[in-house]
Amino acid sequence: MKKNSSIFNFYLLDFALKSVWRQKQKNIFIVVVFSLLVFIISSIFQISNGLRNEALSTVSSLPEITVQQIENGRMAQINNNKIDELLQIDGISYVNTRIWGYYYFPNKDVYFTIVGIDQFEEQYKSIWKKISSKHNFYDMNNSVIIGSGVSKLLKESYFDTSFNFILKDGKTKHVEILDTFDRDTTLETNDIILMSKTLAYEILDVNKTMATDIVVKVKNINEIGPIATKIKNLYPDCKVTTRDDLKRSYEQMFNYKSGIFLALFVISLFTFFIIIYDRSSTLLSEEKQEIGILKAVGWSTNDILKWKFYESSIISVFSFCFGLILSFLYVYIFKAPLLKDLFLGFSNMKPDFNLPFVLNLELIIIIFLICVPIYIAATIFPSWRASLREADEVLR
Amino acid sequence: MIEFKNITKIYTENQHKILALDCINFSIKKGQTIVLKGASGSGKSTILSILANMTRPTSGEVVVGDTRVSKLSDDFSSQYRLDNIGFVFQKYNLISSLTVTENIVLPLIPTNPSEDYVASRLDYLLKLFDILDKKDIMVRKLSGGEQQRVAIARALVNNPDIILADEPTANLDDKLSNEFIQNLCELKKLNKTIIIATHDPLFFNNSIVDKIIEIKNGKII
Repeated sequence: MKKNSSIFNFYLLDFALKSVWRQKQKNIFIVVVFSLLVFIISSIFQISNGLRNEALSTVSSLPEITVQQIENGRMAQINNNKIDELLQIDGISYVNTRIWGYYYFPNKDVYFTIVGIDQFEEQYKSIWKKISSKHNFYDMNNSVIIGSGVSKLLKESYFDTSFNFILKDGKTKHVEILDTFDRDTTLETNDIILMSKTLAYEILDVNKTMATDIVVKVKNINEIGPIATKIKNLYPDCKVTTRDDLKRSYEQMFNYKSGIFLALFVISLFTFFIIIYDRSSTLLSEEKQEIGILKAVGWSTNDILKWKFYESSIISVFSFCFGLILSFLYVYIFKAPLLKDLFLGFSNMKPDFNLPFVLNLELIIIIFLICVPIYIAATIFPSWRASLREADEVLR
Repeated sequence: MIEFKNITKIYTENQHKILALDCINFSIKKGQTIVLKGASGSGKSTILSILANMTRPTSGEVVVGDTRVSKLSDDFSSQYRLDNIGFVFQKYNLISSLTVTENIVLPLIPTNPSEDYVASRLDYLLKLFDILDKKDIMVRKLSGGEQQRVAIARALVNNPDIILADEPTANLDDKLSNEFIQNLCELKKLNKTIIIATHDPLFFNNSIVDKIIEIKNGKII
């Protein structure tokens, strides 16, 4: 009666399944701990990756260089006449002023971001370009377009179709709410109130000769750095920020947060393996007896290792899949309560957006490799040691 | 033909050496029924374990047919047990949380047999030992006699030529002991070589026994 050397053995698989069930109390505990670990790791990585991708894609739509006036160490309004001076610098293809600022909404104790755009200007952001082709901002001096977060809060205060801004002199400015940004731009537009530049000047009480800051585009993106340096030299009292600077600061922010979670993850991984090692690596005398019986009836060490491999694979792969599915449900269906807030941190208004579903295979493979093979090895090793002993010795 | 050539076995326990077998020599012909007679601790069970290659002799060698059993590696050793040996242990050594059927097919699992083969072997053995109606019951719920029949069925499922039984009647009453003898008669009819380690007088004057080898303090007397 020859042994079957093929990797798949239906009877052995059946035996392994029954064996898992026979020790259900111990195995349910392992499945719970294992799934919880996979769930936490997977959720953290999915949220941080999703937010990073969203943030970086937002950064890529920002102007290449931003120039801000600094007075007494604080940001101040910048004079519009700098536009002509900036255009004199070789390599600059576009310069424009921006008018934007924060507006406090006391009903909800939040700040909205007011942004003014001009119909006939080249838009520095693709979303503005899209919205300005849909609505005419030239004669839109009494209406605004709002982000979904703003819309939600205004509706809660019964500002369904219009809103009254309070101006510096105490008067109110009544505006109609013309439209709401699409939900797929929520991360970028959640707290935005978009309006014509004329209206923004009025609400933010900015002198027409001034602006919030100046945005600059260059002909060759490889020259962003040198041109930024030229601007710094030209205006030592200005802060010059490139898109790469913003990108770096976003990355640093997410790397910092991921780093904290990674440290927590390492601790939880250690805890997990200590628990698993304690639960799986010490064979009960009953398990040793079983190994002895199987050896006595004709099983080899290889057969026992194969059985244990099936057994630990069933537990670990099931737990891995279960944890992964739970994390997908948590992140994409339940919108990651608690964890998402920890990642987003302080915000005037926490954007209620859905992370786009991205099946990051690389990430899944990494989590699989961190958890499954180590667990299998940790459980097979003691069985291998027990199976090396003579059956007679084990059964005595 | 089974040959024990100058077999010595020394166990080491807590740094103490215990001489279990001292230069044992004997041979058994195919189809014979042999009784290894001796008091507890005389070395009978060690002879069975060495023959099943569940432990290796300290010196000497066991030859079964053309196979030098004590020189086999782990893989060949398990294959040897699968092909040649059916072991009925004193305490049966069944897995209590498995059913009768699951216990009986244990030796077949590594061979990945066909479903038909497993079904035919099970049907034959369950009927032979009159445990067909117990096939789906956990063995821990069976009586001692029934458990022993399951243990014998498991020992025969791979159709071995050599049946080893270690103190088979130690846990049985007279009725069940006689039942066991009946089972041995069935096996003898199948021309199996049977080796029984026992100190039960029931076997000493029994017609199925061809030879009695008496062991005392690890030596044949």
